[in-house]
Amino acid sequence: MARDREEARELPEWLLTDERYEPAADRDSFIRKSMKAVAGVLARLRFDGGRPWALSPSAPVKLVLGLLAIILGSCATNFAFTLLLLAVALVRMALLPQKALSRCLKTSAGAAILSALLMLPAILLGQASSALLIGTKVFVSVSIAMIVALSTPLSELTGALRAFHVPNVFILTVELALKSIYDLGQTALEVLGSLKMRSVGRNHEKGSALGGVGGVVLLKAQRAAKTTSDAMRCRGFEGDYIVPDTLAFRPADALWAAGAILLVVAFLVLEGVL
Amino acid sequence: MHIPENYLSPSTCGVLAAAMVPVWVHATRRVRETVPKNKMPLLGLAAAFSFLAMMFNVPIPGGTTGHAVCGTLIAILFGPWAATIALSVALALQAILFGDGGILAFGANCFNMAFILPQVGYGIYTWLMHRKKKGASSLRSELVAAGIASYVAINAAALCAGIEFGIQPLLFTDAAGNALYCPYPLWVSVPAMLAGHLTVAGAAEAIFTVGILAYVRKAAPSFGIEGLGATDKDASRSSRAMAALMCALIVLVPLGLLAEGDAWGEWAPEDVSAAVGYAPRGLSSGWMWEALIPDYSFGALPDWAGYVLSAVIGAAVLVIVFRLLAAGGKQKVDFGTR
Repeated sequence: MARDREEARELPEWLLTDERYEPAADRDSFIRKSMKAVAGVLARLRFDGGRPWALSPSAPVKLVLGLLAIILGSCATNFAFTLLLLAVALVRMALLPQKALSRCLKTSAGAAILSALLMLPAILLGQASSALLIGTKVFVSVSIAMIVALSTPLSELTGALRAFHVPNVFILTVELALKSIYDLGQTALEVLGSLKMRSVGRNHEKGSALGGVGGVVLLKAQRAAKTTSDAMRCRGFEGDYIVPDTLAFRPADALWAAGAILLVVAFLVLEGVL
Repeated sequence: MHIPENYLSPSTCGVLAAAMVPVWVHATRRVRETVPKNKMPLLGLAAAFSFLAMMFNVPIPGGTTGHAVCGTLIAILFGPWAATIALSVALALQAILFGDGGILAFGANCFNMAFILPQVGYGIYTWLMHRKKKGASSLRSELVAAGIASYVAINAAALCAGIEFGIQPLLFTDAAGNALYCPYPLWVSVPAMLAGHLTVAGAAEAIFTVGILAYVRKAAPSFGIEGLGATDKDASRSSRAMAALMCALIVLVPLGLLAEGDAWGEWAPEDVSAAVGYAPRGLSSGWMWEALIPDYSFGALPDWAGYVLSAVIGAAVLVIVFRLLAAGGKQKVDFGTR
């Protein structure tokens, strides 16, 4: 009995073999890079400009004001007007959320530095003031464009295009494209993530799986397009794009319109027209 | 108190800039350890207050002007080393963007206003707070201590600036014995600097410090390093109160234009030549920085409008700079165990 128990206590041979499995090193940089790129695009599509408050203008007014400021800033020959726009842009920039502020400043400063580099011959020839004027103008214009883009959700921004009498079909296409980019980006990210997790050790078929990722995304896109088309048909879509309530005129817009008039007056006074 | 370009010899500027390097390194380390990331934007707001306070010029008997700095105020709210960083950034902005204070003299200006002033002010403030009588009103004692500390501190900074001006003609002269840089010796510069600061500028500093500190303690108690445990609601109320105060200061900034004339030691080189009867060579032919908005003036715009816009730009840039510093800096604050 005791012997039987001793034998039973012995572990089988296969269980005693040393199994120290260490997966072979493999390169998966293309998955990492693809995931990073897709995640970057998705992050950029995400609204990061903070919540609107009582004095925020509606999207169409914001778009018109932004364009007006950029056009006036470009036409101005007086440096004082550019500095006036710089003051407005800096104040709005200071109120942006952290990430939006960093992005706005990086883009504007990058553009201004690039223009200063392009103007380097002018600086060397003793025309430093014109280089400074151009650099400041570029900084202000890019800042205003970035502020409008970052502080307005994309759906409102495309809807605001109606203020410029852009055809409805065009706005609808842009809206659908943006939404699809976001949805399909999420799908691509999930498929790439699962590919990365399933590839334990050396996986020689990983490269060919990239085609599979594209295929999955394409199939999803087709399905999404069909679903959207069916949904539009079911709801009796006739080509009219209805502007959401958030794009309606707000009381604060009157204040911003007054600000725009003041800006135009300041431009005319500084340019010597008035 | 902003020493302009070429009033100090390059060697004096070099020595003072070199003296400031370890101060900045130590201050950066201490700020990382003591100021949490979420308080950094508020430090930017404090720097903006200092920037605005420096735009309020007050007339001093004798035809010159002076201004407050608010260095002691920032030191009380955020600590002396945080004040050093905040004031250094504000002074850099003034020098680069507005041509107020020289680029070469940046180290000297930082030594006087960003190092001596907050350190002396904070030292006196803490000493007075330790000696306050038991049972005395806490807020009143604090305001009295802040007023005395800020008054003494700005005079200490003015004394340093006076000494820096005054040693120039003693150390740097040409073959004819004429001064190369600031032409006024110690026995002229020190009394001249102190006369303005012991009277009007010192009083302005004390009024600004006490006024803003009283407002902060009542309307924005979570503003400053002591408000770490404040709830989000309190913090947002404090931020709103401080933003309102800043807007009020920006609107009132043109009052600083009522004082005519330059501050002592901040004249144009031609004015110095006319006053002393010769042109100090280093002062009149030295390197000059072309500022983007010289003398807070926007050219075609009226002076008051240029002054307000300069205040807006300066305050916004300081807030942006400190928000970016908060985003990029590493957090090392030890909050202890709960």
